[in-house]
Formats: sequence, C-alpha cells, structure tokens
Amino acid sequence: MIRFENVGLRYGTGPEILRDVTFHVLPGSFHFLTGPSGAGKTTLLRLLFMSLRPTRGLIFVFGENVSEITAAGRAELRRRIGIVFQDFRLLDHLTTWENVALPLRVMGKTEADYREDVTDLLRWVGLGDRIDAYPEVLSGGEKQRAAIARAVIGRPELLLADEPTGNVDPVIADRLLRLFVELNRLGTSVIIATHDYALMDQLDAPRLVLYEGQLELR
Amino acid sequence: MNLVRFIDNIRTYPWRELLTGLLPARFQAKTAQIVPSASIAGNALTVVIAIMSFLACLTAGAVYLVNQSAQAWVNDIASEITIELDPVNTADIEKKMTLVSLFLAKQAGITRVKPLTANDSAKLLEPWLGHSDALSALPIPRLIAVEIDRSNPPDIKTISEALSQNFEGVTLDDHRRWQAEIRTLTRSAALGGLAVLGLVAAATIAVIVSATRSAMASNREIIEVLHYVGANERFISREFERHFLGLGVRAGLVGAVTAAIVFLLLPVVMHLLGGGGVTATEMSRLVGAGELDFSGYLLCAMVVFVVAALCMITSRLGVIRVLKSYA
Repeated sequence: MIRFENVGLRYGTGPEILRDVTFHVLPGSFHFLTGPSGAGKTTLLRLLFMSLRPTRGLIFVFGENVSEITAAGRAELRRRIGIVFQDFRLLDHLTTWENVALPLRVMGKTEADYREDVTDLLRWVGLGDRIDAYPEVLSGGEKQRAAIARAVIGRPELLLADEPTGNVDPVIADRLLRLFVELNRLGTSVIIATHDYALMDQLDAPRLVLYEGQLELR
Repeated sequence: MNLVRFIDNIRTYPWRELLTGLLPARFQAKTAQIVPSASIAGNALTVVIAIMSFLACLTAGAVYLVNQSAQAWVNDIASEITIELDPVNTADIEKKMTLVSLFLAKQAGITRVKPLTANDSAKLLEPWLGHSDALSALPIPRLIAVEIDRSNPPDIKTISEALSQNFEGVTLDDHRRWQAEIRTLTRSAALGGLAVLGLVAAATIAVIVSATRSAMASNREIIEVLHYVGANERFISREFERHFLGLGVRAGLVGAVTAAIVFLLLPVVMHLLGGGGVTATEMSRLVGAGELDFSGYLLCAMVVFVVAALCMITSRLGVIRVLKSYA
C-alpha cells in the first residue's frame, strides 16, 4: 500500500530532516508513528499525504510512484486517504456538518446520498448537538472530533492522523481510538502520529519511531 | 475519444450549482458555497465589469446603428441615379429639364423620373445653409432623381454618353463614389468598434485575472483543505468560476440594460443638449432613426453572454494556472 525506499528530505539547503527512511505499510495494518517533538513526524505524514516531495528516494502510494503522478492522479489518490491535522484545518464558514461532508461533495456525491451518514457519524463522535455549529464556537476537542469525522467519512483505505487525541479528554481519546480500531477492522490502514504513550499502550500495534531523522520499527 | 470526453464533461458538469452561482449571494444555498461569495470580489469589481459591459454594448450598438444606416443609404442610392443640370449658361432650364426627363423616361431599366423643382433643390441645402430667401438667388444645380429597376438595370454608361452628346451641361451621377465612401465609413466604424471591443475585452480579462489571483490568495486555506480532501483542479476551479460567472452575468446585465436605456433616450438627450433641427437632421442622416431594432438589442444580450463567458473562462484558466504553481 505504502512503500518508502531510502527517502530523504531537506528544506532548501538546510540539513536533512529525514534520512534513508525505508518502510512498508501493508493493507489493513495499524501503526503508531512516534518520536520526540521536532523529530519529523508531521513531515513524514506530509510525505505520506503527498503534500511534500522527497529530495531523494522513492515513495509509492497505492502502487504509484508519487514523483511521477499528475496533479489529477494525486487528487485521486488523496480521495483514498483520510488525514487529521494537528491544527484541524476546518473551514470556518462551514458548519460542522458541512465540514464533515466536504470529502463526499468533492467525490461528487449528492447531499441526499450522504445526509444520514454524516449526521450518524457526528453523533457517534459526540457532536450530535453541534451539527449546525461553526468551528469558531467549537472547543479544541470538538474541532478535533469534527476533523477526525471529516477524515473518515469517505471510508478511506488509509487514515493518517497527526496527534488526534492531543486536545481531548481521556474518555473521548479512548472513544476515538476505538473508532480508529473499528475502521482498521473494516480494512482501513491506520497511521497515528503521537507522543501519547498512554494511548499507544492501549493497543498492541507496531511503532514507527523517528529519532534524529531516521526511522526505526519497534 | 476527445469528443466523448467532451460530451461526458458537459453531461457531468454541475450545471445546477453553476446556475445557483448566478444568483446574488443572499439567495444562494449555503451548502453550495465552499468558497464564500463575499471572499471573491467586492462591489467595486462588479461596477468595473458593468462599466466594461456598458462600453461594449454602446460600441456594438453604435457600430450596428451606423452599419444599418449605411446599408440603408447604399440600398437607397444604389436604386437611384441623379442627373445634374448646370444652371449657368442655360437660357431656359425648365425646358431643358423637361427634355432630359422625357429622354430618360424612354430608356429601358428606368422606372421613375422625378424632376426636382428649384425649391426642392434649395431645400436640400437648408440643413447646412439654413432657410433663407438668398438661396433662390444662388445658381443651384437642378436635379432629376431617376429610379432604376435593380432587377433589370439600365446601361448607365450609354445613358451618360447620350446625355453628354444631346444636352450641354448635363451630367449623370450613379452614386458609385458615395457608395464606396459609405462602405469605407462603415468598415472604418466596424474596425474602430472592434478595436474598442478588443480593448474592453482585454481590460476585462486583466481585471478578472487580478481578481482571481486576489480571491485565490484570500482563500488559500480553503484551497489547501480542498486539496487535502481530494479535490482536483476542475473541482476547485468550478468553485471559483461559478462566482465569476454570476458576477459576469449580473454586471453584464446592468451594463447592457443601461446601454439600452441610453439608446432609447439618445434622441431626447440630443435635444436636451441643445441640438437644434440641424443636429437632429445630421444625427438622423448618420445613424438613421437612432433607435436599435430587435437585432440591435440581441447584440447587447450577446455582449452579456460574452462578458459572462469571459469572466468564467478567465477565472477558470487563472485558477488552474495558480493551482499549477502551487504544485
């Protein structure tokens, strides 16, 4: 599904942020991506999501070499990936419901087809009473859950989450982890970038550990 | 294959969303606005495009009026020839008028011979010289208007030679020079109009390109999110272009309706600005009645269509170009 071969990345003429990163992500797998702050977790996620290009090495996403795909091809691949950003990236002028429905609109689905699905998912993540609220009135945890709902509404084959439980209380964090596990059981590969050891300890999943730009599988 | 794709693109295009973009922001469905209308362009852009549209309609309408008028002139003068009798050194000009008229009436291909009286000839000069008794003292050439059968025209050259041989001081004017000058005038007006339309189009494109860039800069975060959720360039450009299409239609309509009102009020305005009988006559000669007919108004409607299409296509190309620079 995902293959990194000797991937290196540097910004401009600076030092390499990532060095010789090599790993595979198999369909249906569950990984934690961890490491100290500034180790390059977010950068690695951006490479996985094709919003950055490696300065060396090869990245294959769903069998496609990302260095060779067109913009349209990249958009197609992104529809198969759900991503949760640390800063949520919700659109302030859209309601929670509209934010979560966005990937389905982009896929060309009609509102009648997904109205119930979006509402059900929002209820499931505990935002049933915040459906018509705008992001500016949501708490950090509510924004986090809305962002996660947006990432998973399209039933992606791969879910990338950057600190998905960073802004929620332990009860909600547990609930969100169960959502990720449930998605994983349904066939979605999951990579969660986190340095929350309590969260990682709840699940027996392999850990991709980034340290000083290099990746190690534990 | 390309044709199939083209037809498929037309079939799958979100026309409903596009058409909702024509409505003012407050009437649009909220769910249709991934890119909010308010972030696209302010009233200033609408005013600028409306002015461009107004200028384009005025130019197109004016060229159309001149063309219609010129065509009427050409048709009119091509159906007639004029015989001119030199009033100097002619003892009995009335007798000569009669003889020449009788001669012309006998010629094949001539349907009507109308000798103009001295008063008629003098009246032709009134728009320029004014009404004055002094006109009767001037040696004004006497004219005979001759209508010809356009389906069976006479041999103008033979008639001209016969007139020269049989009558001294009689000349024939077949209006060819005037026809050529009118055609030149019409072509010049059309070329001038096209140049103005080209400039208006160029200015509109420049304004829309600038507005598109500005809109994309202010909506950069939205574009990024759309990219992240898998939107392709077509989807993103559609979100922008339907706003610009709506803007183009609204501004185009304002410009076209204003131009139509100007054309309707033109004769009144000319009168209010102090144009007397001479000005009115000159205007009438230049642009006929000065009123657009159905085809003229259709031309204004086409300007709206072109302005709207220009706004939409320019914004689409602008968005795609900027998106490519992001990649």
